[in-house]
Order: sequence, then C-alpha cells, then structure tokens
Amino acid sequence: MIFNADEAHNIVKECIENVLGKADYNQNKVNQWTAAIVEQSLTHLVKLGKTYKYIVTCAVMQRSGAGLHTASSCFWDTTTDGTCTVRWENRTMNCIVNVFAVAIIL
Amino acid sequence: MGCLRSAAAGGGRRMAAGNAEAVGRPASPGRPRGGSQHAAKPPPLLSRRNSILSRRSSFGMVAGSRRPSIGPWMLHRHVSFSGLPIFQPILKTRLENTYRMGPDKGCKFDAERVQRVLEGTLACALETTVYSAQGSAPLVQSLTELLQNQAKEVVPPRYKLVCHVVLGQQGQQSLVVASRGLWDPETDSFASATFSNASLFAVATVYGVYFE
Repeated sequence: MIFNADEAHNIVKECIENVLGKADYNQNKVNQWTAAIVEQSLTHLVKLGKTYKYIVTCAVMQRSGAGLHTASSCFWDTTTDGTCTVRWENRTMNCIVNVFAVAIIL
Repeated sequence: MGCLRSAAAGGGRRMAAGNAEAVGRPASPGRPRGGSQHAAKPPPLLSRRNSILSRRSSFGMVAGSRRPSIGPWMLHRHVSFSGLPIFQPILKTRLENTYRMGPDKGCKFDAERVQRVLEGTLACALETTVYSAQGSAPLVQSLTELLQNQAKEVVPPRYKLVCHVVLGQQGQQSLVVASRGLWDPETDSFASATFSNASLFAVATVYGVYFE
C-alpha cells in the first residue's frame, strides 16, 4: 500500500482555494484560516478511507520580501509512508501545507 | 590428432603448474613473502579452483574425447533429475507476531523531554547564524536531520518520527504555523520549539506516531 501523493495534493489545493481564495492577508483572521485549512484537509483525507494516520501542517506568511525555508525529515517505513507538500500564493501572502501519512499495519 | 594430444597435455601441465604455485605461496595473502619462516601450507580453495578450471578447459577443447567424471552439474548444489540446476527462492524473513496493542507502560512519547532537546539544539545550532538566501536551504535541511537524530535518542522504540522545521528571515512580516493530526491521542503526540535572533527565526516540530 503506497501513499498516493497526487490525490492528497489535489485535495489540499482545493481546501486552500476554498479558504483563502481571493482574500488579502488579515492579521485577525489568519488563525481562523490556518485552522480551517488544516481541518478541512484532514476531513477530506479521512474520507479516502485508507488506513493511515495523518499529520497536516500549514504555514501562512505575509508577503513582505523576506525569505522562508521549510524542511522536514522523517523516520518511518519508506515503502508504506509518504508525504506531500502544496505551495500556494497570492498577492499578499504565501501558504505552505505539508501532509505526512503514516501507515497503520492491521 | 596431434594437436588434440598436445592440448590435453597442456591442460595437464597447467594443472601441475597451478598446484606448484599454490604450494610455493605463503598461507595467508596478507603476510609479506620475504618474512615467512613457517612451512607454507597451500590454501585448499586455490588449488581446487585451479584444478577445476584446467579440467574445464580440457573438457571444452577436446572434442570427442572421454567425458570426465566431474561434469558441469557438480558446480551447482541442487540439481533436478534432468540435470538443470534448481535455483533456491530468496526467502523473505517473516517476523513473529508481537501481540502488542500499545507501547509499554512508561514508554510513551515524552513531549516535554523532546521539547527541551529541541530548544537546546536550536539554540546551539543557530546562535551565531545569519540568514542568507543561498545558505539557508542546506542549513535547514541539515538542521532537520540533526534534530531528528537528537529526537531519536530520547524517543522510545516503535515510534515513527516526523521532524518539520520552518526557517525564515526576520523582517516586518508575520507568520502563523498550524498543524493538526489524525492519530491515537493516547500513544501519539508532538513537541515544538522556536528560536529567533536578530536576522532569522526558526520553528521546529517533531511528531511521534506509534507504529502499530
């Protein structure tokens, strides 16, 4: 059972578009947005019905010319577990979402 | 006919020469030739290999001669009745069932301990670092590997780890990092730490998932 990264990519992209869509960066709403993105992504991933534990991370940053790097390192079974990263941006903000899927052996 | 005889003789001579070589050489290949004082015992494998090769060459070259007693089937361990070698299937090791439902008592993911480790490592590694666009990409990759290795030492066995680091330039912008997991809350957890100096900031998170 291999993790299907393309499927996860599409799901997450849809969720981001739904939440952030045409909005501009707003300090007051950012917490709400990140929580919504993460929750919606997780719900849709669970609906796939696969025996995986999921970890979804979302980072939203205001576009001000500063640089941002993210990296991740995982200690797991490479044959069954996998990850997927989605980058999205608009005029005023950047959004990076990571999905980590860890398999459950039944 | 003449050439055939000489070929057979050549094979025989080669065999004798091979054995002589084996006798003359010292027992272990690592020992220097000049310094050996003991009686040299020929390595048995070497002489046997030579003898098989010379016998094979004589078998190949001499057509219509008497078949030697040892044929090609002796080179393989298992042979079927037709004379073809049987290749053993590669056995995949199957692990025994551990009948384990969850981690041992007192062996769970200790979030506080991992957080302390993360904070310490971040402070050590990034204390004097200055943000640079080219240098930060490899820096953050090596940082995740370092944090993962540190976390592996304090985390109990049968835990899978995911280590995630966000590193950015210190400017006038704001950043929010959120995450949510779908797991077993009794066994799985996470730990996170942040660090910032005048030119950069870093957010590190380690998720520990129990391997069922």
